[in-house]
Amino acid sequence: MTVPLTAYLAVGAILFAIGLYTIIAQRSAVMILMGIEVLLNAAGLNIIAFWRFTAAADYSAQIFAILIITVGAVEMAIGLAIVMLLYRQRRTVEVDAYADLKR
Amino acid sequence: MTAAFEIVAFAIAAFIAVAGALGMTTTMSMFRSGIFLMASFIGVAALFILLSADLIGVLQVMMYIGGMLVMILFMVLVMHDPGGAMMAGMDMPLLERWFSKGLVPRHPAPDGDCGKAHGEKENGPGSEKPHGGHAMAHRQHGHGTTAEAHSDADPHARPHKAGSGHEHHAMHGEGGHDGGKQGGEDMDDMDMDGMDMSMVSPVRPAAAWIAAAIGLVLVGLLVLRPAWPHVEARPDPDSARRVGHLLMEKYMVAFEGAGFLILIGIFGAVLLARPSTYPDDPSRSAKVAIDEKPEPITDDGLIPLAGPPEPPGSLHRSEGHA
Repeated sequence: MTVPLTAYLAVGAILFAIGLYTIIAQRSAVMILMGIEVLLNAAGLNIIAFWRFTAAADYSAQIFAILIITVGAVEMAIGLAIVMLLYRQRRTVEVDAYADLKR
Repeated sequence: MTAAFEIVAFAIAAFIAVAGALGMTTTMSMFRSGIFLMASFIGVAALFILLSADLIGVLQVMMYIGGMLVMILFMVLVMHDPGGAMMAGMDMPLLERWFSKGLVPRHPAPDGDCGKAHGEKENGPGSEKPHGGHAMAHRQHGHGTTAEAHSDADPHARPHKAGSGHEHHAMHGEGGHDGGKQGGEDMDDMDMDGMDMSMVSPVRPAAAWIAAAIGLVLVGLLVLRPAWPHVEARPDPDSARRVGHLLMEKYMVAFEGAGFLILIGIFGAVLLARPSTYPDDPSRSAKVAIDEKPEPITDDGLIPLAGPPEPPGSLHRSEGHA
């Protein structure tokens, strides 16, 4: 392994920052879901990198990554269903129009 | 695996992952965002495989990229402007302009939209000046003001773009006038909605600074931290078999729980997306994403109706372009 662990973790950190920027800056709900997917990817990348470099004999980290992917898929399905429901009622997918949901 | 190949593969995969995510968040086109996100997922899957987690890499490709295809379909169904054609002519920062390169503005809608951007710039965000007067100015003098707005709102416009706009107006004659009128009406509708068409929220600079700061802090902490203890043990080349054994023995409850979670998620999604059973619910009429107002017929050769009286400020502005 000539590429050090820090390089993989740095890629994960950059992906995390980009996902965070997407969640804050985008105003369409679908784009925010995409940002969450990028965040989950960054977490999974960190977990797999740590598994490979520090605990290569224990495969539990891959189970964790599988669970992360599962949760991401379910989150995307539910999120899209909610967005579609809101779009039917409000005729928009921009989250600024959903601000009265918190009242 | 030789060292040089590993370094090159890591560089390519990391570049694809990061550039894909960056393109996803900066491009103006929703469709391109989905494609860029797919590229980012493929890059992360390549990193997984490079880390000898083959099963996770394959799972990443299968789950995320299948899911992303569905997501792009949803976007094309749901979005008002999935191709980013309305945003294509607008002024945007360097990175966004680079990732949105080649987006063609819709024809002839960009006239109205660029005019809208121009009007916003002129009125200012918090100004109380009524938008109706501006819209009427556009309606009266669609030919002149939209051409002017086209060159004003897009300072980076290539010369042939503005030239093509004039050519279009010259070619269509009266049709160009009507097109400008229609653009003015579109702009009126959008102004009444009170929302601009931009894909990003007004806090975008703050968000960019926050994200850059967090990324820098994280990378700096990683670089400054002393190295983690490395284990030189190489994982089993057949790691999928080990993972399968773990899934069926040690983590069976978690695995079954994940399966149950997916089942409940499917039920919930279907239940949420189902049309409501209340007869007066708007979702029962199964609407699709069509434009609210059909496009008026402009090539029937009739003389357009006289518009409302023009505001006093619009006279001298249109003289130079008439």
